[in-house]
Amino acid sequence: MDLEVETQTRGDASVLVLRGEIDVYTAPRLRQTIVDLVDGGATRIVVDMEKVDFLDSTGLGVLVEGLKRIKNREGSLAIVATQDKILKIFDITGLNKAFAIHGSVDDALKEPVSGA
Amino acid sequence: MIPGGDSAQDVPELELEFPPKPEFVGTARHAVSALIRLRDLPDDLVQDVKLAVSEACTTAIADGPGEGLPIQLFASADADRVVLEVIDPGTGVERAVEGRPTDIDTDELPFDRVLSLPIIRGLVDEVAITPLEGQGMSVRMVLSVTPEEDGRAHAQP
Repeated sequence: MDLEVETQTRGDASVLVLRGEIDVYTAPRLRQTIVDLVDGGATRIVVDMEKVDFLDSTGLGVLVEGLKRIKNREGSLAIVATQDKILKIFDITGLNKAFAIHGSVDDALKEPVSGA
Repeated sequence: MIPGGDSAQDVPELELEFPPKPEFVGTARHAVSALIRLRDLPDDLVQDVKLAVSEACTTAIADGPGEGLPIQLFASADADRVVLEVIDPGTGVERAVEGRPTDIDTDELPFDRVLSLPIIRGLVDEVAITPLEGQGMSVRMVLSVTPEEDGRAHAQP
């Protein structure tokens, strides 16, 4: 019932590897990590959700906020997700249209920054 | 309890009462999940129930007059359906009802409350949101169990 946030550097990108559950209790941790990265100058973030067991609207809100922040700096925030339970909440809310969602981190890194 | 309805409170198999604080939402979610798994219901349904419970409880964590009063959760499950009821003692659900998905403005975060009810409606087969006497709201949700032949436990949004 916790969330681990690991930040990896891949070329010019920051890859956030998430493990655990993202809800109203744990989402602030993810939010702070994204805020710190963007404030620190990151313009390319990939959020790897392959090991996320649970995501709700609070987590979505954090991701949308992160997307807005980084877009304001002409950067990109991409999602890596293939689990139905994670993709479903993007689909229900229509936010699958707002994010670039990829099947792997490698695929996400192939996209140009402006493509997100 | 919702007047005239066969609320989850009628024969609750699970009753929880917890403070309206973020750290308790996961506990509520996992308690209901354990009940569903005891019934050997499909995993897709378990996931939908967890999300519905999380959204209803998160919405109920209000900073309004209900602050400090406990959230109540009632759940029952059988081979045909899962019935959930979340009692929000405050104004969180009321404010969520007033919001509309088309009003989502990401400049005004957090907008979780605006998203929660559309998510619930997209997950469950029936939802009833009923004001309680005095103050508070009841969110009653029913999820039907259907065969997993197509990989979906249910879902009739």
